[in-house]
Amino acid sequence: MRRETLLNLVIALALLAVPLAAQALDEPFAITLATKVAILALAGVGLNIALGLGGMVSLGHAAFFGIGGYMMAVLATPVQAYEPLMTWPIELAGTKSMPLIWLGAVVAGAVGALAIGALSLRTSGVYFIMITLAFGQMLYYFAISWPAYGGEDGIAIYVRNGFPGLNTLDPLHFFALAYAVLLAALWLAHRLGGSPFGLALAGARQAPARVAALGIRPYRLKLAAFVLSGAVTALAGALYADLNRFVSPSMLSWHTSGEIMVLVILGGVGRLFGPVAGAALFILLEHFLGGISEYWQLFLGLILLGIVLFARGGLIGTLAGREVPHD
Amino acid sequence: MTDPVLEVRNLHLSFGALKATDDVSLTLCPGEIHALIGPNGAGKSTLIGLIAGNLAPDAGQVLLNGRDVTAQDVAARAQAGLARSFQVSAVAPGLSVLQNVALAVQGARGGSFRLFRRALSDRALTGAAMTQIDRVGLTARRTVPAGDLAHGERRRLELAMALAQAPRAFVLDEPMAGMGPDGAREMTTLLDELRHEAPILLVEHDMDAVFRLADRISVLVSGRIIASGTVAQIRANPEVQTAYLGEERLE
Ligand SMILES: Nc1ncnc2c1ncn2[C@@H]1O[C@H](COP(=O)(O)OP(=O)(O)OP(=O)(O)O)[C@@H](O)[C@H]1O
Ligand SMILES: [Mg+2]
Repeated sequence: MRRETLLNLVIALALLAVPLAAQALDEPFAITLATKVAILALAGVGLNIALGLGGMVSLGHAAFFGIGGYMMAVLATPVQAYEPLMTWPIELAGTKSMPLIWLGAVVAGAVGALAIGALSLRTSGVYFIMITLAFGQMLYYFAISWPAYGGEDGIAIYVRNGFPGLNTLDPLHFFALAYAVLLAALWLAHRLGGSPFGLALAGARQAPARVAALGIRPYRLKLAAFVLSGAVTALAGALYADLNRFVSPSMLSWHTSGEIMVLVILGGVGRLFGPVAGAALFILLEHFLGGISEYWQLFLGLILLGIVLFARGGLIGTLAGREVPHD
Repeated sequence: MTDPVLEVRNLHLSFGALKATDDVSLTLCPGEIHALIGPNGAGKSTLIGLIAGNLAPDAGQVLLNGRDVTAQDVAARAQAGLARSFQVSAVAPGLSVLQNVALAVQGARGGSFRLFRRALSDRALTGAAMTQIDRVGLTARRTVPAGDLAHGERRRLELAMALAQAPRAFVLDEPMAGMGPDGAREMTTLLDELRHEAPILLVEHDMDAVFRLADRISVLVSGRIIASGTVAQIRANPEVQTAYLGEERLE
């Protein structure tokens, strides 16, 4: 087995072991932390499809994270208010069913990413970073001025949404859901990486002039990757909103984009389990350093600086060595 | 005479005041190697850029298989059967030799939007790629990342990628640059075989190779073609000798 595969397996099992141990020790808060790791990792897996596979440095992924979160609120609040979702042109009820909410989030995230990507991908380099940031901020200000969903204050969803056969209010059940979704997304990212699509995308990232000379247009490839990326991150947003039972514009703010980006860099850009390792490290730092000092982000910044300067493959790169081409 | 596969008609391109391409016309016919020579900065790479579609001419046309492709982009011209190599190797450094060549096969055959199939378990894809890798002698290096290849190996990878496109015409920009005498000799033998697959427009500074391979030679100086003809004609042309070749290089 390749060293990285082994490492990935260890990380996956460790993330599973923590909440099981916490359950045995009756430490529900640790389960919640592990769930948060899984969900942020999922958001990072989404970003990594754009950033790692496609080389698109998006500083606007909070847009998709927030779209997923607000999609959850849009679908679930009518139910708690005993109102229909809409009455025109057809009468449609809201839903508290997670599978339907996830579907809504994925579709909304994909549509949002298609719109933002189609425009942003006409630029490149620093302009791409700025334009994705600008789109994210546009949605942020829109949410702030959207009174129906609490504006600046956001909106609470009092009862966690349901999943057939599970009690989602039980922290371990909810963790299991988030973990399963994360594994599914990792499988998707893995398959993408080794597919003809992933090959063309890697080529477009590393040698764009050559890929065009081979008859492949990078724009459409990148747009497709951006759409998939946005959809996965939106799914994470829906889960995150369910974890907190609360949605607010801060999900859409550029701080959120930055955090998702930071955790991918911490773990390793373009490495399959980079976002998982990064999210775990991020949450651990936030929890323990945050307990010691309210300036914990300063330490986070220093660690980030160290990784960018000395360990470009992030945690995964440091532990598993250089990336080897897919076989 | 058979119709040319590639034809360039009265191409013009200026970079500001510099006429990089000045009324250039040439043809590339089936089975031939047409060498394009000229001093540094003559406009050879610029002409290749115009042919491949990286640059848009101020005036003139590029025809592939008799069809005007002047308005088409790089990818469309590649799909129409044009394979080019770059003066400075442009391969994906993080992909293996096999992956780079598989990518070229994929470009020619389509299928870059298949999301879930495993690229390298596709026998048709890897089979076609391996055939070309064997031909250029990189079989033992197939799993090595292209970024780790030696210079000469990378030139050969470039060629394998062009071959894998199964093109109607090759446009090669200094395939032997920096290769060393042994590498250049191997490359010459390889190119000699290639002409039967598709004709080659060959930009090259290595005069030994050019004189051995070329059926026709065109000489580009300051963006203009100052002479065009067989090897013997070009060797004997006094204008060419003063403008470019220099007496001592012709013995
Ligand atoms: N994009 C550009 N903008 C401005 N000038 C350019 C550009 N590309 C090339 N040139 C100029 O056009 C001229 C022709 O350049 P080109 O690269 O085509 O020469 P070449 O014949 O390929 O030379 P070499 O043998 O050194 O590769 C040179 O004077 C070069 O400086
Ligand atoms: Mg040149």
